[in-house]
Amino acid sequence: MICKILLITWMAVVIVAAFFYAGPATGFPGETSRIVFFHVPQAWVATFSFLLSMVGSLLYLTKRNPGADYLAQSAAELGFVFCLLATITGSIFARATWGSFWNWDPRETSIVILLMIYGAYFALRSAVPDEERKRVFGAVYSILAFATVPFLVFVVPRITASLHPENTMSPAKPAMDPETLVVFLGSLLAYTGLYLWILQIKIRISKIESFKKPNIGQR
Amino acid sequence: MFALTTLIAVSFSIGSFRIGETEKPFLYAVLLWIILVFSALSGLSRSFVKEREAGTIDVLRLSARPQAVFLGKLFFNLTLLLALESIIVPLFILLMEYKIESFGFFAAMIISGGFGLAAGTTVVAAMIAQASARGALFSALSFPLLLPLMITGIKGCERAAIGVGVTGWPEVKISLAYVIIMITMSLLLFPLVWEE
Amino acid sequence: MYSLRVTNVSKHYSATPLLQNISFQLQTGEALAVAGWNGSGKSTLLRIIAGLVKPSAGKVQIFFDNEPISKERKRKLIGMVAPSLAIYEELTALENLEFFCRVRGIPHNREKCLDLMERVGLCEQANKMCRNYSSGMIQRLKLAQALLHNPPLLLLDEPGCNLDSKGMKVVERIILDQRSFGMTVIASNEEREVEYADRVINLSK
Repeated sequence: MICKILLITWMAVVIVAAFFYAGPATGFPGETSRIVFFHVPQAWVATFSFLLSMVGSLLYLTKRNPGADYLAQSAAELGFVFCLLATITGSIFARATWGSFWNWDPRETSIVILLMIYGAYFALRSAVPDEERKRVFGAVYSILAFATVPFLVFVVPRITASLHPENTMSPAKPAMDPETLVVFLGSLLAYTGLYLWILQIKIRISKIESFKKPNIGQR
Repeated sequence: MFALTTLIAVSFSIGSFRIGETEKPFLYAVLLWIILVFSALSGLSRSFVKEREAGTIDVLRLSARPQAVFLGKLFFNLTLLLALESIIVPLFILLMEYKIESFGFFAAMIISGGFGLAAGTTVVAAMIAQASARGALFSALSFPLLLPLMITGIKGCERAAIGVGVTGWPEVKISLAYVIIMITMSLLLFPLVWEE
Repeated sequence: MYSLRVTNVSKHYSATPLLQNISFQLQTGEALAVAGWNGSGKSTLLRIIAGLVKPSAGKVQIFFDNEPISKERKRKLIGMVAPSLAIYEELTALENLEFFCRVRGIPHNREKCLDLMERVGLCEQANKMCRNYSSGMIQRLKLAQALLHNPPLLLLDEPGCNLDSKGMKVVERIILDQRSFGMTVIASNEEREVEYADRVINLSK
């Protein structure tokens, strides 16, 4: 209970501070740099979620523990939501800064690819009728998809840089003055806390739902 | 068939005169790879789906080692892709007057890309053979996995066409790394998908 | 001395039970028949024994002189004939057998394949494409395919399906021969097939 209250208060503080405490960063038009406090943590959570989902998949394949699959699936669902949020906030930022909603710069491209991977994962799971197979396939796909990530990290920047050199400036790490840094880290923490909280609720829900189903003698 | 039709459509509508010289290398690389990837997506799932439909999938599961089945299917997909490439790529070059400076690099890129396309999709094909809504699902699943390969391929072909910075064949190396990783992971994961 | 132990095997398909607590033991030299109405789970039970389907509960083990045999080795010990197990229609009968020899890693021997074809009565049609086979001939080929590696455990799901009386004699002969070095499980509704076995398990309650 206390944790939840703490988390909510923290989040509220971060949001307020994002607008009033930290000053706008130089080099960005108007107040747009403030989106850094929201967009980057969302993207971070989305990627971290993918990692967690992959870990859950690995655990499931080795131990066949349904709990691991709940982790994998819940992490994927939550990750998808944050990924969507990150895409939208990134797009808004792009519009405000560079004048157009979409530019295919490295960050944007990777986020979209992540979105596609999540989408494919859900499509695969829903297309397989048998429960056990569904979990195995989901896990296999999640691991394969993760294997392509190192390539994306190296390959995507190289090609998109050659396409649109003027847009490779993504709001990654502008030199931050202390106030901004504090709020940013605070936001990162808040988002991560929020994510973990929702994640464990989701996992609990999955466990409860599995009791509702007639016991079909899970080995 | 798909590949040929797309090729003809592209060549007809775009033609080699409508695009400026500086844009050509990149655009051609993109078009070629789109044709290759989408042809692969439309054709490569057949190897497993056919077994399921003919009813021979169970006999295979009873008689053969999973790794043997995987390698067999991989090899088949590879052969299919290389055959496809050997027809489409020369045609493309001819029809679009694709000027390529560093031909060895280009060829290596196309071949290693073919390997990559086969490696990345075989396990997925095995999975969707057991699922419903096969065709669309196969494309949706394979595309994110193939994207890094596709991007590397485009960059590599573009470089080969321009002829700048080709020493060491960087993109081919990346492509081969992709192939190795995908095949290794597939070999490990395939038995899980194959057995019930 | 091989033995098969099936312990408390159950199978559910989304909450509808198909098989419940099936247990039995079998040894070299014995033949067991599994009988039951259509849909009672005979084929499923055989598939579970073969390892094609995972049971919802229970286990299936094969022992050699009381030592359990691993899953990978199990593959080499089982031969199965079933309506759901097809052969390759694009190949000839001989090519089919040679393919399965290769895939199983058995020394690929034309003589042996021809012998087998004679055993099932397919000699004259050895080089015809299976696409042109009658269903009875296909059934005989399936029998041959199951015997390629001399399996200690033979699983026959409706072996007499599509066979004439001559074909049935072939099946009878095979089951008889199998007794000398292995076990047989037959799933069937036909009187004549069930008669070949020593014991019967009836799946219909």
